[in-house]
Amino acid sequence: MAEQRLNPELEKWVKERMARYPTKRSLLVPTLLEAQKYHGHISPALAEAIGALLETTPRDVLSVASFYTLVHKHPVGKHVIQLCHNVSCFLNGCDDIAAYIEEKLGIKAGETTEDGKFTFITVECLAACDCGPVMLVDEKLYESVTPQTVDRALAEAN
Amino acid sequence: MLEQTKVVMRLDGVPDHHRLDVYEANGGYAALRKAIKEMKPDEVIDEVKASGLRGKGGAGFPAGLKWSFVPKDHPGPKYLACNADEGEPGTFKDRWILEHNPHQMIEGCIIAAYAVGLSHIYVYCRGEFYRGKEMIRQAAEEAYARGYLGENILGSGFSTDLTVHTGAGSYECGEETALLTSLEGGRGHPKMKPPFPASEGAWRKPTVINNVETLATVPEIIRRGAAWHAGLGTEKSKGIKMVCISGHVEKPGNYEVELGVPALAIINDLAGGVRGGRALKGFFPGGSSTPVLPASKAGVGYDYESIAEAGSMLGSGALIVFDDQTDVVRMAEVITRFYAWESCGKCTPCREGTRWMLQIYERILNGAGRLEDLDLLLSICDHIEFKSFCPFGDATVGVVRSTINLWRDEYEDYIRNHKVYKRKFMPVKH
Repeated sequence: MAEQRLNPELEKWVKERMARYPTKRSLLVPTLLEAQKYHGHISPALAEAIGALLETTPRDVLSVASFYTLVHKHPVGKHVIQLCHNVSCFLNGCDDIAAYIEEKLGIKAGETTEDGKFTFITVECLAACDCGPVMLVDEKLYESVTPQTVDRALAEAN
Repeated sequence: MLEQTKVVMRLDGVPDHHRLDVYEANGGYAALRKAIKEMKPDEVIDEVKASGLRGKGGAGFPAGLKWSFVPKDHPGPKYLACNADEGEPGTFKDRWILEHNPHQMIEGCIIAAYAVGLSHIYVYCRGEFYRGKEMIRQAAEEAYARGYLGENILGSGFSTDLTVHTGAGSYECGEETALLTSLEGGRGHPKMKPPFPASEGAWRKPTVINNVETLATVPEIIRRGAAWHAGLGTEKSKGIKMVCISGHVEKPGNYEVELGVPALAIINDLAGGVRGGRALKGFFPGGSSTPVLPASKAGVGYDYESIAEAGSMLGSGALIVFDDQTDVVRMAEVITRFYAWESCGKCTPCREGTRWMLQIYERILNGAGRLEDLDLLLSICDHIEFKSFCPFGDATVGVVRSTINLWRDEYEDYIRNHKVYKRKFMPVKH
């Protein structure tokens, strides 16, 4: 396995927080999220480097990574679209929005566009049920989503 | 006409009340001063006990009692985990508090830490709350700068720290012991109880775990007194509750009401009734984990005991309303998929049972269901319930059982007529 160096900014981010926890491993879940900003997804080589920093094994890092839905275990597009498909959004027509996004991007839920720009997934409740359907594009939340909102969100992300 | 009783939402409408100066100008941190300068830690616990405050995350456990379980003479650090991992479908109250009234929650955290002698507060925030995390971080910075957090708070000699900790997408981590496992850097699996977190929690140290809304209620109890709070609500369900209404209503949103008011008044008077003048078919009184109640039971009092008597639970206070056009079989499939995909996998009945139920739902919606599938679903429910480590397993059966019992004819219509649900898309587990 090729050795991977952690982005220095990420390493700094982790080290600044270590004093706030009794164990280094406690930072594992937040570190996985932060690492994606620099490294895209959690590869086995990256898991090795994170494990070394937090004093745990690469296997532990990958095991923990596999548990959390926001942690990407394989490469994803430059922008990740997460549309809620849970009950309140379902009652407000999220299925139509899912179909619209699939058609617009020419991919199915779970896939990435050929140019690597967008990954589309549907996810569980985003806790904004009063404004369903809701969608996260990267870190930005869109509420009461219509096809027009999708058009705007994709343009903003591009 | 039902009116709201705003306590946690008391500053709703005041511009910029997420900022410390605005919060302070509206009575903010007066409760912390009162607790620290005028009350002994035990008196604070007694006050919260006397108020009748119950946990607002779902279980409804008395908050003061929970605090009193922490051993006083325990050497070394003790912790507060503020549960901001709001994931129950239909619930969006904690997000409102984090984004709009973060200081009231932080003030509640510090009062709890003072009362119980806790040295560090971890706010475990769900990963998807990008804005909420930022707001709570900014508010914590302001509180540190003003001397409400850190060393020697308000000259009292008492010190406590606050750290915002992010999750990364997992419903199960809202369960208190799973939250602690995740805080320690692990997969979000629940732990055996006992030992309870109050004696052995995060990093095996005594830990109090309270929901965001519970903690945000505490400052008002200290400021206005236990008797004020105990005078609200019903005899056993004292106080107020934020109710999150979503689904087919005219004005979905967060509303704060006295416990015990009729659910129908919340739906009609506050949320403007069922959308488009349609008829109410049913509702989840407390989130997707609570059994569905039919329209005929909408007169139920919105308190823990009355809803239990009607056959469901108040849960996290999420009222999900659906109208007479709703396909309840498909709705139950949506929720069953959620549980199947979010089960942490630790206990076999929950892990395997939810997946099996999902397969049966897919079969029924594809027009290939069998009449015996309905009794099979009910039997699987019996084998999941009470057989798992944590309440997740029990949560999965509510929607299945209640919709089959209430609308068996709609299930049979799918099965007998080989009706096929026309899917617009197919979700894929990421």
